[in-house]
Amino acid sequence: MIPEPIHRPAPPRTKGRTRFVVTALGTMALLAAVALLSRGFGKDSGQPKTRQAPELARLARFAPSGTDETDRQGKTADDKASRFDDTTCWDDIENFNEKVTLENFREWAAPLWASKDPLVIEYLKQRLGELIGDDEGRAGQVLGWARSASPAEFKLLMGGLRSSKALPKMAAQLTSLGLDKSLDLGRRAGFLDELQHLPRLEPEALDKLTHLAEDASSGEAGWVTTRAIGRVMKADLTRTGTFEPYLDKLLTIGANSKDEQVRYLALEMELHAEAPLDAKALDRLEKILTTDGSDHVRQVVAHDLSLSEDKPRALDIYAKAFQQETDLCARWAFFRFAARVAGKDALPIMANMAQGDPRFQGIYQEFDRLYASGIVDFGRLWLSLPSDNPFGCLDHHDDP
Amino acid sequence: MTRPLLRMNPRPRLPALALAACLLAPALAAAQPSTADGAPALKARTCSVEGLMDSIRRGLHSNSEAYKTYLRTLLRESAVKLPLAELQAAFEREQDPALVEHLAAALVARTERGLEPAAMQAVAKRALDDPNPGLRAATVRALRRTGALEHTGDLYQRLVRDASPEVRMEAATNLVEDNLHVYGGHDGPAADSAVAAAATSSDPKVTAHILGQLMTGEISTGSAHKIEQLLHNDSVEVRAAASAALGGVPAAEAPSARASLVSLYYDESDPTVRKSILQSIARLGYASAVPELQRLRSVDPSLGSEIDSWIQILNKNPQDWGLILREKQKQQAR
Repeated sequence: MIPEPIHRPAPPRTKGRTRFVVTALGTMALLAAVALLSRGFGKDSGQPKTRQAPELARLARFAPSGTDETDRQGKTADDKASRFDDTTCWDDIENFNEKVTLENFREWAAPLWASKDPLVIEYLKQRLGELIGDDEGRAGQVLGWARSASPAEFKLLMGGLRSSKALPKMAAQLTSLGLDKSLDLGRRAGFLDELQHLPRLEPEALDKLTHLAEDASSGEAGWVTTRAIGRVMKADLTRTGTFEPYLDKLLTIGANSKDEQVRYLALEMELHAEAPLDAKALDRLEKILTTDGSDHVRQVVAHDLSLSEDKPRALDIYAKAFQQETDLCARWAFFRFAARVAGKDALPIMANMAQGDPRFQGIYQEFDRLYASGIVDFGRLWLSLPSDNPFGCLDHHDDP
Repeated sequence: MTRPLLRMNPRPRLPALALAACLLAPALAAAQPSTADGAPALKARTCSVEGLMDSIRRGLHSNSEAYKTYLRTLLRESAVKLPLAELQAAFEREQDPALVEHLAAALVARTERGLEPAAMQAVAKRALDDPNPGLRAATVRALRRTGALEHTGDLYQRLVRDASPEVRMEAATNLVEDNLHVYGGHDGPAADSAVAAAATSSDPKVTAHILGQLMTGEISTGSAHKIEQLLHNDSVEVRAAASAALGGVPAAEAPSARASLVSLYYDESDPTVRKSILQSIARLGYASAVPELQRLRSVDPSLGSEIDSWIQILNKNPQDWGLILREKQKQQAR
């Protein structure tokens, strides 16, 4: 398991509490803009110190101060409620639900999805999935509609297919539609995006998809295809232990695509699957690490290498790459992932790095001190560092 | 793995589709079917508590899970716009467990979105006080995967002592799921609340359920000591779960946890608990645990292969617990 803050931005560790899930749907205007809720609760939150208070009084201790009707800013519940969008209730939707069939679905559903009511659109996707069931013929019929549907209806139809049990049977048709050059690229991307939910990809399809993903002119279609290959790899690895054909293709895309974001994604998918790396894969990653022009890509490759079981080889690659590297954030990646791959055995290599670049002297002392204190694994060491972002690199990837 | 899919410079997907949807909307709105051919007369209107409850009551009998989910979601999403008094009154007079759960979830949603704390407090009160255990359990479920830990004081320490085993287990499930899904397993106070509830409960299944699934990487020293005390519990389930929970404690608590586990290993007779102890010794010590594991080999010869398996993995000097577990699972599958 990869500790979250190693490679990407992480929530603050001690200043407050970060809620990872907002229970509301992302459809409300306000909540859609606030994917993460940061709460400034102190360490005593949820820990009452006295037990004499009546129950409601005890519960109320956690409420903001203010009157029953207002909070500290003087805002009433009505004031706050006004920030949220109204919901819509639909007359006769019960009748719709009972009598809708696959045959009349498009006609009957049209006024609902045209309304842009996000809750009813989500319902329509799920209901369409129920109407398709696990019937390949019905799923094929919906795919046929999707070839020429308007963009908004296309999304509805694909959502319905995705929620149906027939989706795993549609790999060949989805691949064929995704590669059909007579269709516009946006629609092809929509078909290809569904491949990510499949349990496996056949070798022939994998070849064709890789060819498409490598081609920078594929745009979004190439990006979603790369993600699909990575996600199917993870599913197939978990289910059957198979990962080699997918990893081979991802490394090919990571080396060859002219689109930096596609290369980055291809190499990042390895991390999500945590697929084992053999000597050949290490060779390919080393080549990318030393030749790719993007420091973002070089950093994600450094992360990939930390999954290697060949620790001496990985350390050797990090040591050489550090010397050649000019980007500070990439050097920080090589430095910390050396520790992740070999623990305190990496300290001599890290000491050399710090000797070559004095900016790393301070952080080297921290690693040395923590290992000397008895910490034995990278996860606990990372959480014990005074800062997980000593060089200001963690937000680097999201810079415009 | 909880790490979300991340990519650099995220860009909007399928923008052309969204744009065209806007252009087509007026034409589609005009395509509303008539009722002459049996099509429903769909018409948008403002939601009300009464109307929603009528729909949900009838919808409970639908064969469509999609429809039931829609109605439940619609009530929860509408909650911020509905009159609190009406919503609360409907909640307090309702006696059907399914509807109680929906109404409670709607009230909780109001507090979650920054409206009045009283809405969630009303739910917490009924979770504690309703004479019907089925209704208490339904109300507790409505608090799941929310920020209830931040608004309800010692509610969970009280719920895990409820007279009903169903209520106690629902509360335990909330603690586990809130920690994992709301706080990502990385929030010390939330984990401490779960440990406090686990230690308070006298139901071994509840204590084991919480500790067996809790991520303890950021718990306090006090919580670590509470778990250490549970190593001496009469229940095998509790001892096994407490042993597992101690494996993940922060670096500062690791030496004490490791010593307690080794000590227990000598006194323990149950093989399940002993296996759990071995795993946590491995997790606390990684490669440095190998000498300790070798010493323990003579205590119980029947676990010799288990210890050898850990030693074989740890001798490779792994640094990541997830990779270690995967290797262990591979060995077990052979």
